[in-house]
Amino acid sequence: MDSMLFRKKKPLFLFFTPALIFMSVFLYYPFIFNVINSVMSISGLGSAATGINDPWYVNYVNLFTDKIMLTALKNTFITMGATVVFQLGIALVLALLVDGIPKGAQVFRTVYFFPIVISATALGLLFNLIFLYDGGMINNMLKSFGMQELIDWKGESLYMVTMLTPVMWQYVGFYFVIIVTGLNNISSDIYEAAAIDGASGFKRIRYISLPLIYNVLCTCLILAITGALKVFDLPFVMMGTGAPLDKSWLTGTYMYHQAFSRQDVDYASAIAILIVVLGVIISQALNMLFKEKDY
Amino acid sequence: MKKIISLVLAAVLVAAMVAGCTKPEPTTNTTPAPTTTTPAPATETPAPAAEAPAAETPAPETTEPAPAAKPVELTVVTSYGGDDGNRVNYENAFKAYEAETGNTVLDASGTSNEEWKARIMADFETGAEPDVLFFFVGVDANKLIEGGKVVSVEEIRAKYPDYASNMKDETLPKSPADGKQYAIPVNGYWEGLFVNKKVLAAAGVEIPGPNTTWDQFMADCQKIADAGYIPIAASLNEVPHYWFEFTAFNHGNVAMHRNVPASSADANGAAWAAGLNDIKTMYEKGFFPPNTNTATDPETNVLMTDDSAAFMIDGSWKMGWFEENAEDISNFTVTYVPGMGERKSTDIIGGLSSGYYITRKAWDNPEKQAAAVAFVQAMTKDEVVNSFGATAITALKNGTTAPADASSLVQDALVMTKGASGVAEAAQDGLNPSARADLFGNVSNIVTGGMTAEAAIDQALAVTE
Repeated sequence: MDSMLFRKKKPLFLFFTPALIFMSVFLYYPFIFNVINSVMSISGLGSAATGINDPWYVNYVNLFTDKIMLTALKNTFITMGATVVFQLGIALVLALLVDGIPKGAQVFRTVYFFPIVISATALGLLFNLIFLYDGGMINNMLKSFGMQELIDWKGESLYMVTMLTPVMWQYVGFYFVIIVTGLNNISSDIYEAAAIDGASGFKRIRYISLPLIYNVLCTCLILAITGALKVFDLPFVMMGTGAPLDKSWLTGTYMYHQAFSRQDVDYASAIAILIVVLGVIISQALNMLFKEKDY
Repeated sequence: MKKIISLVLAAVLVAAMVAGCTKPEPTTNTTPAPTTTTPAPATETPAPAAEAPAAETPAPETTEPAPAAKPVELTVVTSYGGDDGNRVNYENAFKAYEAETGNTVLDASGTSNEEWKARIMADFETGAEPDVLFFFVGVDANKLIEGGKVVSVEEIRAKYPDYASNMKDETLPKSPADGKQYAIPVNGYWEGLFVNKKVLAAAGVEIPGPNTTWDQFMADCQKIADAGYIPIAASLNEVPHYWFEFTAFNHGNVAMHRNVPASSADANGAAWAAGLNDIKTMYEKGFFPPNTNTATDPETNVLMTDDSAAFMIDGSWKMGWFEENAEDISNFTVTYVPGMGERKSTDIIGGLSSGYYITRKAWDNPEKQAAAVAFVQAMTKDEVVNSFGATAITALKNGTTAPADASSLVQDALVMTKGASGVAEAAQDGLNPSARADLFGNVSNIVTGGMTAEAAIDQALAVTE
C-alpha cells in the first residue's frame, strides 16, 4: 500500500502545492516585484510608481557612487570579519573548554545559549542603557572610579565596538552549542588512544578535535558570514540614525532608512537586490572554499 | 484511504494559508515607532484651487448626525498613541463617545513620525484605511486629497450642516492640494522655549522674555555653560528641526518664513543657511550636550528634568511630558525663543497642523457615515478641545480656556501664545519627507564641518517628490 502512494505522484504534488503557493506569494513574487521597483520611480511607501527611472539603471549607479552606501558596505564586511573572529572564535574556545570538563557542561550550554532567546529589540534597549552617555552603566562605573570625562560610546572613535559588541555576544552561544555538539560526537576511543600515545591537551585539540569538527566549523562559518550580511535588528535599535555622522550604517539598516525615512522606495529596492546578490555570491564562494570532508 | 487523507491535508493547508492572508479590521499599524517624535507640521499655504477630488455633493438631508441604526465599529487612527501628552485626554474623549452612542472605537493610534505617515499612506493604497483619521493637513495629506480618499467639509456639511459649527470657518486649515477644507482641528500647536528655572537660578541668569534678544540669549548660554550646566538640551542627531526653525526664522520674518526656497542662494535659502550656521556656532561654543551628534531625543529631554540643562525648544505636545516627568512642574516654564533682525522675539512658530478626516470609505458606508460624523463632532467639541491644552492658536469660535486645575506650565503657555505678535507656520512642512530627512539628517555633518549649510540645503531641495 505504501509503495502505491509513492508510485502515484499526484498526492506528492498536492503536498507540495501549499508550500509552493506560500513561497510564490511571500518570496518569489515580492522579489520579482522588488527587481521591477528598483528601476521604477516611486516616491513614497505604498505609492504607485510614476514611471521608469531615467536612465532605468540610475539606482544601480547610485549604489556605487553613494558614499554612505559604500560606508554601509564597508561596515557590513567588517561585521562579517568580526563575526568570524569573535563569534566563531570565542564560541570555539568556549566549546573546547567546556568539552574538557567532566561535569557541569549542561549548565554552560544553557548560560551561553541564553542570549539567543532574548529578542534583539530588548537586547538593543539593554545595551543602549549599558552604553548610555549620561547615566549609562559603564559610564557610571567609570565615574565611580574617579573618571571625570564621560565616554561617548556611540561617538566617532567607538561606534563600531559599541554596535558590534551586542551582536557578537548574542550569537556566541548559538555557535557554541553547535560546536559542542560536534565535539561530543567524537568518539572517546580516539582520545583514549591518543592519550596512550602521549598526546597532550593542546595536541589533542590540534590533531583530533579540530580536524574532526571541520565540517561543523564550515557550517558555522557559512552561517555566521551570511548571517552578518543581513544583520539588522540590534544595530537598528542602537544606531537607527546611522550615528555618528552616517558612519554606522549597515546594508540592512541603510536600506530601511532609504525606504522608511527617506521614502526613496526604488533606491531601497536596489539596495535590497544588492544584498541578495552579495548573499548568493558570498555563500557560493564559501561553499566552494569550505567543502565538506569525509573522515 | 491515504489518497483521501493526503487530499484533505493539502486542502486544509491551503485553506489555512488563505485564511492567514485575510486582514481583519483594524488594519492600521498600532505599534508606536521607536525613535524620534517628529513634531506636528504646521498648516500649509493653500495652493491655487485645483480640481476637486472625485466627490459628489449630495443634497442636504438632515441637520444633525443621525444616530446609527445599530451600534457600529469605527476604526480610528490618530497620532495620540505612544507617549503622546494628550493620550489620556484622547482616550477619555472617545470613551465618552462610545458611552453616549453605543458605538465601538477600534483605536489604532500610533506615534507621529515619518514611518507612521508612510504606514498610513500604505493603508490607503491597499484599501485598508481607517474610517476616521487624525492626520496632518499640509503636503503630507496631498495624496489623500488628490486620490479622493477623504471627504471635504463642504460635502459633509451638505448633508450635516452643523458639522464643525463650533469652529471658525476661515481658520479651518485648507489643503495645499486644492485649497479646500477637509480636516477639523482639535487645537493648534506652537513651538516655544522650555526653561528649567532651577538651572537658570543656579547660573544667575534671568528667564528670557519678550524683549530678550538673540545676542543676550547667547551671552546667557555662555554664562550657563561656565556655571557647569548644559545650556541647550537638543539632539542634533535626531531632532535638530526645532532649532532650525527658529534660527532660520531669526534671519527672516513672519511673512516669508513658511516659503520653501528654490536654492540656498535666494532670500529664504540664505535665511536657512544663516540659521544652520548659527546652530554650528552654538555647537562650536559647546552649548549643546557633548553627545548631541549621537544622542537620542529622549536622552536629551531627560537633561531638562534632571536639572542638567537650561533650555529646550519643543512643541505644545511636550507639555504633557513635562507634567508627567518633572518632579516639580513649577520649576519649568515656557517662553519666547529670543529673536533678532526682523523677527520679534514674540513672533512664534505655530498653526493648525492636524485634524480629523472622514475617509471616503466610511462616508460611502451607510452604516458608518453618521457614526463617523458624530465621532468627529464629539472629538472636536469645545470641552474636549479645552481638555487638550489651552492655546490661543485655535479654530474654536469661543477660543480656549485653561482648565481650572491647569499647571503653571499650561498657564505660562497660554500667556505666551496670547502675547504672540506673529505666528508663522513651520518651514519644514513645505518639504516632502525625503527632503526633510535629507536636510535634518545632515545637520550633524554641518555643525562638524563635514558639509556646508548651503550644500545641505541644495542637496535637500534637489530631492524630488
